[in-house]
Amino acid sequence: MGEYGLHYGGKYMSSREELLDKLANAVVSGKVDMAKEGAQEVLAAGNSVLTALDAINEGLVKGMSIVGDKYAAYQVYLPQVLMSAHTMYGGLDILLPAIPKSEVENRKKCLIAVVEGDVHDIGKNIVKTMITASGFDVNDLGKDVPVQKIVETAEADQTNVVAMSTLMTPTMDGMKATIDGLIESGYRSKCKVIIGGAPTSPSFAETIGADYRGANAQDAASYLKEVL
Amino acid sequence: MAAEMSHLERASAALANEEVDRLTIYPIACGVCRKLIGDGNITYRQWVNDPKLFAQAFIEGQKYFDLDFAIGLMDLSVMAGDLGAGVRMDEQNTPFVDKHIVNGPEDYEKFEVPDIKKGRSAVLLEGTKIFADALNDQVITAGFIEGPLLALSQSAGAERMFMDIFTNPSAVHKALEIMTDYDAQMVEGFAKTGVKGLCWDYLWGNYACLGDAEYHEFEADKYASKLNKMTVDNGMAMCIHNCADLPHLDTQIKEFKPSIYSMAYYPLISDSPSASQVIEKGYADHCLVAGQVDPQVFIRSSAEDVAKITTNLCQEVKTALCKRNLKSSYCIASGCEIPPDINCKLENIKSMVDTAKVEGRM
Ligand code: B12
Repeated sequence: MGEYGLHYGGKYMSSREELLDKLANAVVSGKVDMAKEGAQEVLAAGNSVLTALDAINEGLVKGMSIVGDKYAAYQVYLPQVLMSAHTMYGGLDILLPAIPKSEVENRKKCLIAVVEGDVHDIGKNIVKTMITASGFDVNDLGKDVPVQKIVETAEADQTNVVAMSTLMTPTMDGMKATIDGLIESGYRSKCKVIIGGAPTSPSFAETIGADYRGANAQDAASYLKEVL
Repeated sequence: MAAEMSHLERASAALANEEVDRLTIYPIACGVCRKLIGDGNITYRQWVNDPKLFAQAFIEGQKYFDLDFAIGLMDLSVMAGDLGAGVRMDEQNTPFVDKHIVNGPEDYEKFEVPDIKKGRSAVLLEGTKIFADALNDQVITAGFIEGPLLALSQSAGAERMFMDIFTNPSAVHKALEIMTDYDAQMVEGFAKTGVKGLCWDYLWGNYACLGDAEYHEFEADKYASKLNKMTVDNGMAMCIHNCADLPHLDTQIKEFKPSIYSMAYYPLISDSPSASQVIEKGYADHCLVAGQVDPQVFIRSSAEDVAKITTNLCQEVKTALCKRNLKSSYCIASGCEIPPDINCKLENIKSMVDTAKVEGRM
């Protein structure tokens, strides 16, 4: 029992710090049941102890950033990162519905997709995780997504960001076609477009009219936090 | 400079790091060579389902480009497809898996080795035999096969498999044993085709995906080592292709000891090793390393640019080989398969080969 623990009528309640630690540790160690349990405890403890939003940002997300940094430093690898992401989503599923409506409306929206013809989606999923961890509401359209679907969903969602991934050269043209589609639909000026994946480059981003090309998930998240 | 050699003489010399007239050359032009068959309009679907057409691409490719090797890569969904996964075959795109067959940990135990005399395993083996028969007197031929971890990730879905490595390692191992049995049968099948080598795709040996511990546990120690040995015991040279950004070179070159190691280079990814670094670090001391022209240039650049890129690579490689006292153990190759896209320019492939023939002279 931690030193911050409180007792109410003999029942032990975790303190804010304990709850945050539990969430962060669950994510770092990839224990989805622990994250879900921690999230339930946050709701049970109530806003006076810890709000759902703080539990996300200072607990789950903190854990995910630790894992992201370790991955970038080759201290952990995909199996751990994917389990941590899965764990973070497990906690988010419980905590997100508890965020007050006004705050939900303030959350920025991001659409993410792997462009048509390409099934490489591991990198995209890691980017999605880090953007989610930065407080964005991410709509994941998956892999092999046709241009038209990205363009239409961007407008329908009133998204703030369109993030596109491809690892293959032949499919890079899909990124340009999407941006052209966004220009045509009039939505381009209302969103940031970011791209990534090994064959893309900052100069390619410039050529096709994207706002940014990120080398990895961390870069994507920091860029979006900075500009939005 | 050595007198002009035949392809076979040159490639055999390079495999033994002996003197050559020029560096060996192999753009990994596989699917793209379907454009050289007949009127150039056969679809990818036809190409990957008909052994004669499959073989014809390599035979025509050899006539057209004049290479030192012929390596029969079809695509990476042959095994998964025969294991029951859904494979989408477009008219002009490499087939890919669009329906995985593992939906829960129990499914790992349901895998069974399919009949390799049927399905695309059979097409691959028969096609390989046809091109080996046609080309064995000209070049070194090799079959191409998916390693066990790749075959499993293609069947189960990579992300699921990676998470299960973490939560259900024993189930994953059970499935890997079946993949290894399947691969073992394919090794015997390839040995009967008469190819001189067999190239393994071990792409998960990549530090962007797995660390040493995971790679050793889930591919290297129990599965790849057995298959590598079997390849050699069946009379074929053991070759590896790994186009990853951060390949496990110590394991895959120093431990596995392949005859040929084919790899890519990603200048934008820090720590991705360039040709000269690979040579400097001793990886070409006992292995013919092949690389590292960026496959993108065959679509995006002009033939002149490809010539410049090839010239630079030849210079870089020759200097590095010379510094390390090596004679020929680097093959001027593309880092991965040349994109078989319809927009891929055959003249760029030709430009790479023709330039390397001149600039690769020793
Ligand atoms: C694993 C892999 C596969 C797996 C993919 C499994 C999956 N579910 O994703 C399988 C086996 C299915 C596969 C298939 C094929 N592959 Co593949 N594959 C790879 C490999 C080895 C690693 C990719 C990977 O997952 N890396 C790990 C992740 C975490 O890194 P990442 O994807 O790069 O993502 C990071 C960054 O790029 C960035 N990022 C990514 N997206 C975005 C988006 C934004 C907005 C931002 C900011 C950042 C960002 O952040 C990520 C996290 O840090 C690469 C080589 C390589 N190293 O890139 C080849 C590679 C991508 N494949 C290649 C090819 C050719 C194929 C095939 C056509 C092979 C074949 N002949 O069948 C098929 C493709 C079929 C198709 N139509 O899609 C080529 C593409 C060549 C090209 N330039 O065109 C590559 C580059 C290999 C090479 N050198 O040629 N492949």
